[in-house]
Amino acid sequence: MPDAPDSLLEAPPCASDPAQESLVLESLPKEPAFRHSRLQRLADRWSHLLFLACGLLVVALIGGILYFLAARGVGAFMPLAGNTDKILTLKEVFLSTDWDPNSGKFGILPFIAGSLSVTGLALLIAAPAGILTGVFIAKLAPGWMKTLMRQVMDLLVGIPSVVYGIFGLMVVLPWVSGKWLSDSPAAGFAVSAAILAVMIVPTIVSLSTDAFESLPLTLEEGSQALGSTRWQAIWHVLIPAARPRLLTATVLGLGRAIGEAMAIQMVIGNNPQWIALMRQSTDQTPILRFLFTPAATLTTELVQELPNTAAGSTWNNLLFAMGLLLYLMTMLIILATRRLGRQRNA
Amino acid sequence: MPAAISYRPRRLSRVTDRVMRLALWGLALAFIAVLAVFVGAILKQGWPVLNLGFLTRMPETLDAGGGIKPEIFNSLYLVALSLAISLPIGLGAGIYMAEYAGQGRILRFLRLCIETLAATPSIVLALFGMIVFVQMMGWSFSIRSGAVTLALLNIPVITRVTEVSLLGVPRELKEASYGLGATRLQTILKVALPYAATGILTGLVLTAGRAFGESAILVFTAGTNTSQTFPDFRLTVPGETLSVHLWYVTSDGTLPDAREIAAGTAAVMIVVLLVLNLSVRLLDRFIRRRTR
Repeated sequence: MPDAPDSLLEAPPCASDPAQESLVLESLPKEPAFRHSRLQRLADRWSHLLFLACGLLVVALIGGILYFLAARGVGAFMPLAGNTDKILTLKEVFLSTDWDPNSGKFGILPFIAGSLSVTGLALLIAAPAGILTGVFIAKLAPGWMKTLMRQVMDLLVGIPSVVYGIFGLMVVLPWVSGKWLSDSPAAGFAVSAAILAVMIVPTIVSLSTDAFESLPLTLEEGSQALGSTRWQAIWHVLIPAARPRLLTATVLGLGRAIGEAMAIQMVIGNNPQWIALMRQSTDQTPILRFLFTPAATLTTELVQELPNTAAGSTWNNLLFAMGLLLYLMTMLIILATRRLGRQRNA
Repeated sequence: MPAAISYRPRRLSRVTDRVMRLALWGLALAFIAVLAVFVGAILKQGWPVLNLGFLTRMPETLDAGGGIKPEIFNSLYLVALSLAISLPIGLGAGIYMAEYAGQGRILRFLRLCIETLAATPSIVLALFGMIVFVQMMGWSFSIRSGAVTLALLNIPVITRVTEVSLLGVPRELKEASYGLGATRLQTILKVALPYAATGILTGLVLTAGRAFGESAILVFTAGTNTSQTFPDFRLTVPGETLSVHLWYVTSDGTLPDAREIAAGTAAVMIVVLLVLNLSVRLLDRFIRRRTR
């Protein structure tokens, strides 16, 4: 075997030279034990492109939604082709509370404020309730209760928003106005937020249950070994430890809440002039007026007015701009959860 | 022998502990109560309306006594069509993410897009569908506009559930397949997918339930009218679904018995969703038993 070291020494230059390489390959046994048919090999080589195309379609959709909403929404602020209607300035749209499209007033501040108010109120209920229920399911509930709670949350998340809406309309509104408001209509932020809270709580519960379940058991054991009660362990150790994920859960709940349209539209009262109305009336304390004045949000106003406006009008374009605003908020929310996720890993 | 070291938390801590644990139980029971009141109230309000006539009559536009026959059909038809569109795309994207994308930048970006699409409010998807399918493609308010836009809602869910189910396939199974000489595609199609099928099916049923309940998208793409013939399989006619009907009769207010019809429709939807939920649970149990 005197030749062996030589050929080994020569191996590197061989590999870099294609002609030599094929020579080496051909010196291997000619026929592999098993070969797929030509069709199989082609399919295997190219099929991933098909799968990739499906993935790229999703990417294209994200861009497409942005493009088409922007193309229409921008029409309210810029003279685009075929747009002969009124051109608005950013100031009179985003900094005005006056919404009266028929007399050319297009301030969307009431809707932004409405969306933020109803979402904020809903989170005020849903975030603590959801996180505490999460800790209950993960750490305190016996097995059967865990299963039961999971099923309850599955059902709550599966109920369609119009059914939540009709429940609010037929059950909650009459009950609230009969019980507390001496029969004045109860439409407004309070009832909308309460219904919204029930709609988003399953999201927060399931994500925070996961968060608590993924914490190392040693945290809890260590805390209890130091003499803490279970609640002290939960409050001082587990909740702080799970905080980034709990925040993610809350932010995703926020995302669901801000985009919800139909359920709120059915109970909020759909009054674009709610800020003015709230200022004028004096018959109740300010907080009650805030909670029970018929109002409107970005989403409810879209549902309410989109069917009644002509395509290409300033009014119509501005509604698409409001949709764009919602979409940008969604993106922001997703990016925020990303940020939180990275914090968690660091 | 030293006395046993025993430490008891302070009295206040013990009381707080007990109170908070009771409060958490109370909170959990409150959610169960909310659900019970909710389902109970909807069924109670809808029960007097529910009869065979209501389910099999055509809807009225001005008079009392209309039924929901075409709405039931449209709901099922639209769910089926939207699933038929979104299933191949969602499967494809899910397969790519689980089997081909690796761990790098592409996967992260795809996942970001899927998450964004999943979080996009349905009213925004409705606006997109309205611009692209209803107006630009000239499909107007029709079953096909509704089905395609509704598919956008399903795609991220199906993608995600496919990805997760495929990642749950045991590695040994795939390695055995490669060891027997199968190609990557063969391994995916003949080993991984069948193994993941029950998981994907569960996700599919949940997706169907979501699509069944969706209203915002369909109000602006499938419209609030329905064809006068039954059953109408044409893709070009408007197709009002149960959820849209429920919303439309209450907000439109021309029907004298809008309240009853809405209540009845809501009850039908709740029953359908309870059945769907039960089937998911059975499927789930089946999967657990098989994997044990």
